[in-house]
Amino acid sequence: MTTMRKTYIVVVLLGLVAIIGNHLVSPSIGRAVSPEDFAGACAPCGAPCPSKK
Amino acid sequence: MTTATLAAPPAGAAIGIDRLFLALALAATAILLALVLLDGQPTSAALILGGFGLGIAFLKAEFSFTASWRRFLTHGEAGGLLGGLLVIAIAALAIVPVAALVPKFGGAIAPLGPSLLIGAFVFGIGMQLANGCGSGTLYSAGGGSGRMLLALVFFMMGSVFGSLSLPSALALGGVDPILAADYLGPWGGLAATLASLALAAALIAAIAKRRGASFTPSRNFLVGGVAIGLLCVAVFAAGGHPWSVTFGYTVWGAKIASALGFDFSQAAFWQWPGPKHALAESVLSDTSSLTDFGMLFGAMAAAAASKPFARTAWPPAKSLLAAAVGGLLMGWGARLGFGCNIGAFVGGVASGSLHGWVWFAAALPGCLIGIKLRPLFGLSRE
Repeated sequence: MTTMRKTYIVVVLLGLVAIIGNHLVSPSIGRAVSPEDFAGACAPCGAPCPSKK
Repeated sequence: MTTATLAAPPAGAAIGIDRLFLALALAATAILLALVLLDGQPTSAALILGGFGLGIAFLKAEFSFTASWRRFLTHGEAGGLLGGLLVIAIAALAIVPVAALVPKFGGAIAPLGPSLLIGAFVFGIGMQLANGCGSGTLYSAGGGSGRMLLALVFFMMGSVFGSLSLPSALALGGVDPILAADYLGPWGGLAATLASLALAAALIAAIAKRRGASFTPSRNFLVGGVAIGLLCVAVFAAGGHPWSVTFGYTVWGAKIASALGFDFSQAAFWQWPGPKHALAESVLSDTSSLTDFGMLFGAMAAAAASKPFARTAWPPAKSLLAAAVGGLLMGWGARLGFGCNIGAFVGGVASGSLHGWVWFAAALPGCLIGIKLRPLFGLSRE
């Protein structure tokens, strides 16, 4: 097995453990949201509008 | 062609399918779907599946914004670039009117100012060094490129640095988003958006013609463009906002940094309601992360279903260095530029937001610089 395949297996397994762990220990309001869903967001990352400063 | 590729496969060998990685990709996707469905979140499952479809579509069509833009800038070939505009036109047909008319739906908007210009320009440099943009990094990493897996790691790091820089960059000034539908109404906004795409396409085709280059999209780009455009609409329908990629990387990077002891409580970006919520809540509560995970595993499944997965050797150190530097620049640039070629350019233009075109105009000169720098890392300018 090549080192790249081994790397992929390790990364995928560690990634999955991290996702599951984070999901289980973090709060969740339910529906998935984007930062744009919050009041005052003016960009996909949730940055405020220049006029609001 | 080498002797190895001409050699007949052993009798009974399942050449073409990498069962281990196909099973890994499908099992990982099934686990994520189970987690969100156990929480009663069918829309989250739809976002994962939308991302999965995008991963397949991008990989099978080899739909590369980075290579298309490079071919246009170096030779004038415009087929790939026009294929990208086709994706935007299809997405715009749904996004502009729905975002204006239906509550709880919104377009990808962003302020215009120095932060956008600097971010897009730096992103352009990074995408040519890494040889992949926001979506390209994701589907190439998912598809078995260890080089792009490295780029993804540095993309995450760069985007966390970018999140720390963004408030200062915004302090340089700017104006509020300019949205076509706000001035012309939903249908007038759609007409203006489609007209801007037609104008851009005509201009790009004219440049290609003048340089004696092709401007006809390949069949792959036409079929892939239609599929990706429709999947953009599906992701928009499920998530309520246009598809975005890089905010997920920022959240992953910040969550990892937090786990390592980094304190974001004094960072202005992470006190804004959206990012603060994303950092505190489950990673499966973030729409961008859901489609990103789906896309990674979709590309992995598509790659493993057609050939042995990740069998190649690691590229030379200089190429890996380019991937790392490119990833860092893209991450930092994506935060200052309000996204990548997907979230800012495709999502922005498809929403009728002027920032999408400004992002494109600033990213292209960055690409030119990136193309000039590629030979320093042993990469071709082609």
